Amino acid sequence: MKGSRCLHQLKSLRLLSHAGRLLPPAAGDNGALFRPRSSSQLGGLQCAQREVLRHFHSSPACTKGQPARFVQEEDKTRDKSLVTHDDLFEQVAKEAKTKATFNKVIDVYTKGDIRRRGHVEFIYAALKKMPEFGVEKDLTVYNKLLDVFPKEVFVPRNFIQRMFNHYPRQQECGVQVLEQMENYGIMPNIETKVLLVQIFGEKTHPMRKYQRIMYWFPKFKHVNPFPIPEQLPEDPVDLARFSLTRMANDWDAKVTVYQLPCTDVTESGAEVTLPHIVGIQSPGQMEALAKHNPDRPVFVEGPFPLWMRKTCVYYYVLRADPTPPEEKIEEPYDPERCLSYPLQLDLDLDRDLGDDESFDVEDLDEGPVFAMCMTSQGDQATLNQWISGLQESNPILGQIPTLFRLGAGPRELQGVGDADSASRSWFPSHVQREEAHPGEEAEAVVEEAEAVVEEAEAVVEEEPRRSQVVMTLGLRSDCGGNFVDSSHRLWSFSSGVSVKKAPDEVHHHALHPCIALMQCIGKFALLTQRSPTAAIAGPGCSHTGASSRLHQMQLQWIQ
Amino acid sequence: MNMNRLIVFSRTFRIGQRLLGCHARHAGKEELRLQQRRSIKTHSRHLAYAKDLFLGQVNKAEVFPYPEIGNDELEEIKQLVAPVEKFFSDDVDSAKIDREATIPPETLQGLKDLGLFGIMIPEEYGGLGLSNTIYARLNEIIALDGSIAVTLAAHQAIGLKGILIAGNEAQKQKYLPKLASGEHIAAFCLTEPGSGSDAASIQTRATLSEDGKHYLINGSKIWISNGGMADIMTVFARTEVEVDGVKKDKISAFIVERAFGGITSGKPEDKLGIRGSNTCELSFDNVPVPVENVIGEIGGGFKCFKFIKSGFSVWPSVELTSEYATTRKQFNKSLSEFGMIQEKFAMMALNAFVMESMAYLTSGMMDRPGIPDCSLEAAMVKVFSSEGGWICVSEALQVLGGLGYTKNYPFERFVRDCRILPIFEGTNEILRMYIALTGMQYAGKILTGKIKEMKKGNIGLAIGMVSKKLRASLGASVDLGLTGKDGVVHPSLEDSAKKLEQNVSLFGSTVESLLYRYGKTIVDEQLVLKRVADVLIHIYAMTAVLSRASRSISIGLRNHDHEVLLANTFCNDAFFKNNYWMVQLQKHSPENNDANIKKIAKQVLENRAYICSHPLERTY
Repeated sequence: MKGSRCLHQLKSLRLLSHAGRLLPPAAGDNGALFRPRSSSQLGGLQCAQREVLRHFHSSPACTKGQPARFVQEEDKTRDKSLVTHDDLFEQVAKEAKTKATFNKVIDVYTKGDIRRRGHVEFIYAALKKMPEFGVEKDLTVYNKLLDVFPKEVFVPRNFIQRMFNHYPRQQECGVQVLEQMENYGIMPNIETKVLLVQIFGEKTHPMRKYQRIMYWFPKFKHVNPFPIPEQLPEDPVDLARFSLTRMANDWDAKVTVYQLPCTDVTESGAEVTLPHIVGIQSPGQMEALAKHNPDRPVFVEGPFPLWMRKTCVYYYVLRADPTPPEEKIEEPYDPERCLSYPLQLDLDLDRDLGDDESFDVEDLDEGPVFAMCMTSQGDQATLNQWISGLQESNPILGQIPTLFRLGAGPRELQGVGDADSASRSWFPSHVQREEAHPGEEAEAVVEEAEAVVEEAEAVVEEEPRRSQVVMTLGLRSDCGGNFVDSSHRLWSFSSGVSVKKAPDEVHHHALHPCIALMQCIGKFALLTQRSPTAAIAGPGCSHTGASSRLHQMQLQWIQ
Repeated sequence: MNMNRLIVFSRTFRIGQRLLGCHARHAGKEELRLQQRRSIKTHSRHLAYAKDLFLGQVNKAEVFPYPEIGNDELEEIKQLVAPVEKFFSDDVDSAKIDREATIPPETLQGLKDLGLFGIMIPEEYGGLGLSNTIYARLNEIIALDGSIAVTLAAHQAIGLKGILIAGNEAQKQKYLPKLASGEHIAAFCLTEPGSGSDAASIQTRATLSEDGKHYLINGSKIWISNGGMADIMTVFARTEVEVDGVKKDKISAFIVERAFGGITSGKPEDKLGIRGSNTCELSFDNVPVPVENVIGEIGGGFKCFKFIKSGFSVWPSVELTSEYATTRKQFNKSLSEFGMIQEKFAMMALNAFVMESMAYLTSGMMDRPGIPDCSLEAAMVKVFSSEGGWICVSEALQVLGGLGYTKNYPFERFVRDCRILPIFEGTNEILRMYIALTGMQYAGKILTGKIKEMKKGNIGLAIGMVSKKLRASLGASVDLGLTGKDGVVHPSLEDSAKKLEQNVSLFGSTVESLLYRYGKTIVDEQLVLKRVADVLIHIYAMTAVLSRASRSISIGLRNHDHEVLLANTFCNDAFFKNNYWMVQLQKHSPENNDANIKKIAKQVLENRAYICSHPLERTY
C-alpha cells in the first residue's frame, strides 16, 4: 500500500518538475513550482497531473489493492457494519461481559455467514470491545479473533502480488490485532503464527509484525531486574513488607512489624482500628544513626508515594539533615590498624592523570535516611509508635529530638467527590487504586501543592526545607520505584506524577528535571559501563550520588 | 634466626626501627636520606635481596654462592636428625593421630625428650639454640606428621617467639626454660571474630587494676592452636594509652599463664586436616596479669607482632619431598610410561627442588651475621611452598586415582593437612599484599624523585627511558653480572641466568611504571599487587635454583646434572610466566582481564548470587 502511494507521489513530483522546467525563467519564482495551486499559469498542468493521477489510480493493478472510487460508499457500509457488529456485542453485553459471551459473539459471527462478509469491521469492533469484556489480556481470544479471517484467500500467489500490497485492509487489520496484543504485553504463540501463515502467508506485514514482536518481546518482557509480581500481595502488611524491601536496596535490611492491624472495641463501645506499622532498617542505617550527633534533630517525613504497578502505597522516612562540614571528622589513618601489611604507602606520588578513571562528580550532600516505614494511618501518634519501636534497637533515639514534618496526605489521588468521605481526609488510606490518567493527576498534584503547605502538620518552620528529589519517569503507569542508595540517600522514581516532598519550592521544576533525568539515564548506561558511580546534578533539584542502580532503574519502565 | 635481630633490637631502638623497614610509621626525613644514601653506595649487606629486585637490581652477593653450613654444624645435624627420623618412623602413628584427633601423651613426651620444643631457644635458656638452617632440616622430618608440625610450630614459631624476641631478660629467665623443655606449652592468641589482620577487630581489653599492679584481661579469642593445652599464652589486647595527652586504644601483648585463672578453653574445633593439633576458642574472664608480664612496652603490641611475623618458619615447604618419595614407589612400570603421568612426576620433582632451594637459601640468609631483613623472602617461601605443596600432594593423589581417595593410603590425609598451609600464619593473599607493598614502598622511596622529574617533563630522563626500552625491545641482552667475567652462575646455567637477568630488569621497569601510574594509590590495586608478588616470588625462586645448582656443580654433588636439568626447566617455565604477568601489568594490555573480573565480581556480590538465569528457566 505504502509502496504504491509512494510511487504515484514520486510520479506526480517528477511531472511537476518536468513542467517547471518548461516554464520560462522569467517567472523567477522557483517556489511556485511546488505550489501549483497558487499559480494560475499552471492551471493546465494541474489538469494534466490530475489526469495522470487518475490514470495511475485506474490502472487495473491498483484498483484491486485500493478501491479508491468506492471509498465514499464503503465508509457508509463500514459505519453500518460497525453499528451492526457493535450491536452484536452490545446485545450480549446486556447479559454479562465475560470471556464466554465474547467467544459466543465470535462464534455467532463465524457461523452466521459462510463468506465472512465484513470480517475486518467485525474484528475492529471486537478489538475495541475486548477491554470491556476483560479479555484484553487473553491470548486464546486473540487467536480466536484471528481465526475469523478466511484462510488462504489473502495469500499472495505470484511475485507481483507479493511485491505490492496484497489485500491491504485485511493485512492492516491483522497488524492491528497484533498491535493490540503488543500493547497489552501479550506474547503471540505458535498458534498465532500458524494462523497468520494460513491467512496472509509468509513475508507479509502481519508476519513481519509477528516476527518483530517475537524478536523484541522476550528481550524486554523480563528485562526488569526488579520485577514486580503480577499479583501484588493483598494483605497490607505483606504489601508493605514487599514495598519496603524493594526500596531498601540492602540485603541485610530487616523488616519489623511494629503493629499488626486489628480492631478493638473500647469500653465505651466505640470501635477502634489499630493501623499496621511496618518498618525497615539496615545495619548500615543503624550504624549511621548511632553516629548521629544527638544535638541535631532527626525528622519523620512523609507521606511519599510509591507506585507498584497500578497501586500506590505511601511511606514515611526517618531522616536527618546532612552533617555540616565542620562536624565531619575523617578517621585518621592508623598505621597499626592492619597487622600484616600497610594500608597506606608513605609515598609522595599521586595517581597519574592518565590512570585516573574516576569521574568529576558534583556530590551534593543530602541527609541520610535512617529508617523507613509504612502504615495505614499517618498521624503523629502512629508514627510516634514507630519511633518508639525503633528506639528499642537504636537507643540513641532516646536522646535525639525527633520532629514530625508530615505533609498533607495524597488527597489529590482520591476521587474529588469522596475527599471528605473519610474523617481524616488528609491522610492516605494505605492503598489506593489509581484510576485517573497520569497526566491529569500531575496537574492536580501541582495545584494541590500550594494548598498543602498550609495544611502541613507539625512543620518546624525554622528548619529550612530543602528541595527533594523530583523525578518522573512517566512512560508506563506501572513503573516507578524508590530506593535508598548505599549512602542512605533516598531516590524516588515514580510514574506519571512527580514525587514531592517540599512543594513550596519544587513544583515549578517538576517537569524540567524529568527530562534532564531521562537524558542522564541514557548517558548513564554508557558511563556505568566503565564506572559504577557518578551523579547527576540538575538545576533546581538535587540528583545526587546516583549509583549503578540508577542504570538498572532505566530498565524498569519497560515492564 | 632471630638471635641477631634480638641483640640489635635490644641495643638500639633506632636500628630496630629500620628493621621494620618501610612500614615503620615514623619513617622521618632523616631516615629517608639514610636509605637513599645507602642505595647509592654499593650495597652493603644490610640490604636484603628481594627489595632490590624492585629496582631491577640483582644484589648477587646476597644469594651467591648458595649458603653453606660449617662442617661441625653438619655433624650436629647428622647427630640430631637420625634420632628424630627414627622417632617419627617408629613411634609416630600419623593415621591414628588423624583418626583420634589427638596426639597421644607418650608421643608428646618423646618429642619433649628429643628437645624439639626448644629448637630455637638459646642454650642459656635450656633450648637447643639451633640455627634456622638446622631448624628447617628438622622441620622436614617433623612435617611428616602435619598435626605434630602444627603443634610445634604454634608452640615455638609463634607462641613463644614474643618472649624470645621482645621479652625482657626477667621474662626470658622465668618462662623460656620451661617452654624449652616442653613442660609448658605456648600458644599465640591474636585472632578474634572479625578478621585476623584487622587490629580494629580485637575487642579483648586489658584494664589496669586499681592498685596498678595488674592488668585485667577480658574477651575471647578464636582458632587458637594449642589453645586447649597451652600453659603460657601471648595474648594481644586493647589497652588505653595516653599519647600526647589524648587517650587512645592501642594493642599490647601480654604473657598470660593459665595458672593466673579465669581462662576457659572451648571445645576443640573439628577440622578438615591437621586433626591431631588442638585448636579451640579461649575466653578470658578478668584474668589478672601482673604488669611485668607486658611484652615490650604497653601499647607496643603492634611492634611485637611485626617481629613475630617477620620470622616465618620455613617448615611447610619440605613436607613434600618425603611424600614424593613415597608416591614414587607405588607404581609398576607400565603406568610410568604414560606421558601424562611422567609429567606429574616431573612437576613434583621440580616443585620439590624449587621449594627446597628457596627454603635453604632463605634460612641461610637469616643465619648470616648482620641484620638481614628477610621477612620478604620468608613470606615468599611460605607462599610458594604452600601452593606448590598443594599441587604436589593433589597430583600425587591423582596419580593413584581412586586408591588415593581412600583412607588406605595416606595421601588423602596429606591433601587435607596440606590445605591449611595457604591459610594459616597469614593467608597467602595477605602475604602477597605484604610482599608487593613492602617492595613498592621501598622502591617508591627511591624512585619518587625520578618519577617526579619525569612527570614534570624532563626530556633527558624521558629519552633515557625510551632508549632503554628500545634497546630492550630490540633484544639487547641485559647484563646484571650473573654470568661472564665476574659471573657467579655456572656456565651450564648461563641461558637461565640470562633469563633471570632479563626478568629482573623488566621487573624493575615494570615497578617504575606502576609507581608512575598509580603512585600511592597502588594500595587499592590488589590485582596488580598480586601479579607483582607472583613475579617477585618466581624471580626469587629462579635465583634460588640457579644459586643452588651452580654450587652443586662446583662442588660436584651427586646427580648435579639432574639439578641443572631441573633448574633450567624451572627457569624456562618461570621466565614465560613472568613475562606474561608483566605484560598483563602494562597499560591497556589486552591480556589483562581485570576490569571484567572486577565487574563480574561486583555484580555477583551485589546480588549475593550467581545471577545468570538457568538455561531451563523459560522458553521465549
